[in-house]
This record gives sequence, structure tokens and C-alpha cells, in this order.
Amino acid sequence: MYQGIAFRTAFLLTGSAADAEDAAQVGFVKAWSALPRFRPGAPFRPWLLRIVANEAHNRRRTSGRRAALQLRATAARPPDDAAPSPEGAALGRENRAELLRAVERLDDRDRDVLACRYFLELSEEETAEVLGVRRGTVKSRTARALERLRSEMEVRT
Amino acid sequence: MSELERALDLLGQELDVPEAPDLVLAVRERLEPRGGRVRERRRLVLAVAVAALAVLGATLAIPEARSAFLRVLHVGGERIEIVDELPEIAAADLESTLGDRVTLDEARARSDFGLRELDAAPDRVYVGEHGTVWFLYGSPESVRLLVAQTPLLSVDEPALRKKVADGGTRVEGVRVNGARGLFLSGDSHFLFLVDERGNAVEASARLAEDVLIWDEGGVAYRIEGDLTLNEALGVAEELREG
Repeated sequence: MYQGIAFRTAFLLTGSAADAEDAAQVGFVKAWSALPRFRPGAPFRPWLLRIVANEAHNRRRTSGRRAALQLRATAARPPDDAAPSPEGAALGRENRAELLRAVERLDDRDRDVLACRYFLELSEEETAEVLGVRRGTVKSRTARALERLRSEMEVRT
Repeated sequence: MSELERALDLLGQELDVPEAPDLVLAVRERLEPRGGRVRERRRLVLAVAVAALAVLGATLAIPEARSAFLRVLHVGGERIEIVDELPEIAAADLESTLGDRVTLDEARARSDFGLRELDAAPDRVYVGEHGTVWFLYGSPESVRLLVAQTPLLSVDEPALRKKVADGGTRVEGVRVNGARGLFLSGDSHFLFLVDERGNAVEASARLAEDVLIWDEGGVAYRIEGDLTLNEALGVAEELREG
């Protein structure tokens, strides 16, 4: 039920499958130990993901680096897109690759908030819980991160 | 939502994120030492939090751990346990753990998957447990390279082999032909065959060299020998369907 999202969260934060698996495993174990402190009625998913994200951050800090994310070899076409020409498909893919490279150039704080909001599709509340900040901070950090991302993209074009 | 946000949404769907591994066993085993002391409420919530991960009963039955687990990983049909102390067992000779010695043509005929081969023909070929085809380069007494290919019946299949390594073994996550893999190097580790009930067969234990393990297209691959990671990746790249 939660292992997919836990692993994906850790992978997006570390860029390493082995680190992500380890972080998710340890995250579940720590969540288990921390269950007496879990507030009844509170949403479980963001609480669990925060523990997993902390573990992922620890591994990222220990290794001193984060592997860059990659696009799938054959990326899915958006459902509402008409079939693109080969040139169009290549261009679309190149644009997405460029966007990903720009995301990777952001600092960890900006990148993490974008990963939570857009790659994990977490709500602002969930993102706040996972990153251990207030909801208002998520809003302002997301806006700043998007602005920096726009600048990164403009510098390269 | 701005155009940039829509682009990020789409990008999120196109990221190359590996399939989530089955975490249930690993989590259970990390928790088991505390099992006798858990309270009922926590046990109940665990059922929600962890048992919801998957079906516990269908997973591999592991014999009692001889030492503390530091880490458990799954890849390429193998369950890799990093423990604080290796078991004290006599290692079997290599050839007895590989299976029937056959010709390369027989191996091709007996394998019902796209058997991959290197440019150079192996010195010996074996077909063993779970339909594993082993290519041995060198001799059993002096192995230069050992390549194994095992068809996987399903992604949820229990481990085919179990590896026990101590904390001195280095584990690196790697990508092999786009698939998730692991490279284990450093201290030697034991490799066991696993019986049909999922138990490690102690008599099959042998000391293994550095190894690159990954699964791709429903086949588990392992490349073992005195190799660096780059050399092992080079062998993996050269491995092609004959």
C-alpha cells in the first residue's frame, strides 16, 4: 500500500535505487517504533513519508552527492497530445531533458519542494509534513523554486 | 497552473524510477528481534502499516538468522543479507553448486528464454537449479569469470539464491542496460541455493567473488569474478542474445 510511494520518495531524493530501498526499509522500521507517538486521526501517508524522507536525506548527506534523475527510455506521450512527428517527439523529449537538467541544477531545498509537489504529486499540506516545514513555507518555497527554474531555463536558451 | 508547472507534472510521469522492491520481508526481519515485546495496539497498527505492503505469507521462509541483519536487499532473483558476522560453514566446491555440465548447444536448447552469450565461448557450461545457465571461463579451480542467467517466473517470485555478506562487503547501486542492479565487492560472501520451500541449502554454500547482479526482461543475471565495476559493466554490455 505504501511501499511504492515510500520507495519513490526516497529515490527522488537520493537518485539511488540502493539508497532508496535502504531508506524506505529503515523508514518503515522507524515508523513502527514511533507509532506510539503517531497522532490518532492524523493522515498516515505524509507522516510515514516524512520519516522515509529524513532517512533519504541522511543518506544523501552521508554520500555527499545525489545521483541525477533520468528520463525513461521511452517516455509516455501526454494523453491529450496528437501524435507528434518524429522531429516533434525528439524536440519534446529534448525539452523535457533540458527541464530535468535545470531542476537538477537547483539547490536541494528548491529541488525537494518541486519533487514533492510535482514528481510525487503531494498536496501542499503533505509536502509541508514531509519536509517538516509550515504550509506557508511550502507555498513561498515553491514559488521561489519555480522562479529560479524559469531563470535557469532562460539562461540556457 | 502555469505552463512550467504543467511541464513539471508531465516530467514527473516520465522519470525513470525503478519499480519499488518488496520491502515486507526486510522490514519484518528488522523488526523481528523486538517481536516478543510488542504491545497489541502496535501490532494492530503494524498490520495496517506494514502488512498492507504485501502478502506476508507468500514470501520466502528464511531460516533463523545466525547473526544480526544490517541490511537486506533484493535484486536479480537474489536475496542479499548483510550481517555482522558470517556463518561458520564449510564452503562447497564450485562445480557441485552449478548443476549438470552440458555443451553450449545443449544449454541453448534447454533454455526457454533468450540466452545471452559473450563473444568468446565459455570453457564450461552448466544448467542448474531454476533453469539457471552458468558460463564458466577458466576452470573450476581457477575461475576467471562466471556468468549466470536465470529465468524469473514473476516479479514476485521468492529469491532463487541467497547471499550472506558481512559489513566489509561494499554494495553499490548501479544501472545495467537501464535496469536496476547491484555490485558487491570487497570481502567474500557466501552464496546459497534456495530450495523449493525457500530455505537456504547450507550444503550448497560457496564463497563468491565480486559480483554484478541485475534483472532485465524477466531474466536474472549475475557476473562474478575478480572484476572492477567498470569491467563487470563491460561484460554486461557485451552479453548479447546469440
